[in-house]
Amino acid sequence: MNLLRSWKVSLLAVLTIAVSLFIGGAFLLVSGNLSASLERWRGQMRAVIYLKPETSEADLRRLAAEAVRQPGVTAVQPVTAAGARKRFQEIFPGLADLVTGWQDEPLPASLEVGFDPAASPKARAAWLEGWRHRPEVTLVDDDREWLGQLETVVAVVRAVGLALVAGLLGAAIFTIASVIRLTAYLHHEEISILRLVGSTEFFIRGPFYVEGLLQGLLGGLVASGALWGAYEFLHARGRGSLVSAVLALDFLKLQDVAFLVLLGGAAGLFGAIASLRREAL
Amino acid sequence: MIQFFHVSKRYPSGQSALEDVTFDIPRGQFVFLTGASGAGKTTLLRLIFREEVPTSGQILVNGRNVSSIPQSKIPYLRRTIGVVFQDFRLIPRKTVFENVTHLPRLLGVDVQGQKRMAYHALRRVGLAHRLNAFPPELSGGEQQRVAIARALINEPEILIADEPTGNLDPDLSREILRLFLEVNLRGTTVILATHDRDTIQRVGRRVITLDRGSVALDQELVGTDPPSLDPSLAMTADPEAGDAAETPEPESQGEEDCSFSKPCVISSTRRR
Repeated sequence: MNLLRSWKVSLLAVLTIAVSLFIGGAFLLVSGNLSASLERWRGQMRAVIYLKPETSEADLRRLAAEAVRQPGVTAVQPVTAAGARKRFQEIFPGLADLVTGWQDEPLPASLEVGFDPAASPKARAAWLEGWRHRPEVTLVDDDREWLGQLETVVAVVRAVGLALVAGLLGAAIFTIASVIRLTAYLHHEEISILRLVGSTEFFIRGPFYVEGLLQGLLGGLVASGALWGAYEFLHARGRGSLVSAVLALDFLKLQDVAFLVLLGGAAGLFGAIASLRREAL
Repeated sequence: MIQFFHVSKRYPSGQSALEDVTFDIPRGQFVFLTGASGAGKTTLLRLIFREEVPTSGQILVNGRNVSSIPQSKIPYLRRTIGVVFQDFRLIPRKTVFENVTHLPRLLGVDVQGQKRMAYHALRRVGLAHRLNAFPPELSGGEQQRVAIARALINEPEILIADEPTGNLDPDLSREILRLFLEVNLRGTTVILATHDRDTIQRVGRRVITLDRGSVALDQELVGTDPPSLDPSLAMTADPEAGDAAETPEPESQGEEDCSFSKPCVISSTRRR
């Protein structure tokens, strides 16, 4: 009822919480999509084991057979030195001259190893470390390193988002608390009458708690709607672009949207309780 | 019913409102509380329904020590006490019906029951036809009568009125006073604070006079010109019985045996 009566101040409270949750939701969306991309890339993760030039083709096949027996390894592709040269020439035809005319093959033979994403990262790391120290091996190139850096970026995005949301939610709670305190003040006389005729505290405070809860839930719904609109806009405008592919591939899951709305409700309720605890009605 | 034992009330500012007040009001008594402005009448009334807490002394209302009951129990105490103020204290944005039926609503009475109770309470004060009006649309006298209906709707054990006729013209004052006497005849303990000595002299009854926070005089007065009671204002035995709009009011019992100068034997039913 109060929501309708003093709709301007209520709108302010709803919008404040909506802005906070919109920003929080945006961070959730970006970090969620980054995480999903990371998972996808992790699923395609591979390592390349470069062998010494003198490694024979028979040794290459023997080492490939050995590698494929390792648990967690899904595929091993042996690439001979000649095969590596041909692939380079195919991929970079403009640079083909760089690898022609050499007495020996300029590129080393290698084993391209694919991993099961579900396999233990520790076991994979230990296994690759073992290969690093073998006499036939010159270099082990592991995708884990840049994926690790990307994970750090995701963690930073999440932390910044969390800090920002915490600050903004704090401001939203303060706004809701102020609005409810103001409403309680405006109805001070009415509240004193209700007390005189025997109303319990729950009966008197209950409507204010409901008001805070509704403001918060409404703010959460507005934020979710705005977020969906922004996502649709970006998705339509940036279809096929890297940014769209990485940051806005999928919208929030239903449970994430529910979380945003409930977080708004919780913030509103908390604001109401906090304001009425401080202020003797 | 209401007992004060050496009650004193001193405000944080140091001002003393009541000083060692002791009295006993038995159930069903009509008491005028009088004294000059600032004598402590309002403070005394506020102590009864725990709007104030005494600085020292004990107050028993219906056997309960109101100075020590927990905060959570205060609403239940107040549901047994009807309070009428000089300034009416109605909620302007609520209709007469909503103002009057707050307590039944609180007690979970269904809408039909609320309507019956509101009709009966408002009929007693002659305002059954203003059920859907808002307080600002009513005259001062009508607002006061709505406040009285609100106080009476749940058949309180005690009715407290703080200068209820202070804002009203003499005719209306007499009408409202007659209503309080009718309520008292039904067995409700009534405490009416007023500084209108003429009314007290005319009506009679027990008079407690306060002077600078102390009981200066506690006496029984015989009225010089007590008002005749209007039987149409008397309440039904059970307001919820039957359709209020169609059921005629039963004759109140025992009123013929009462006079202002001697105690009444009253047979009444009460909703608790």
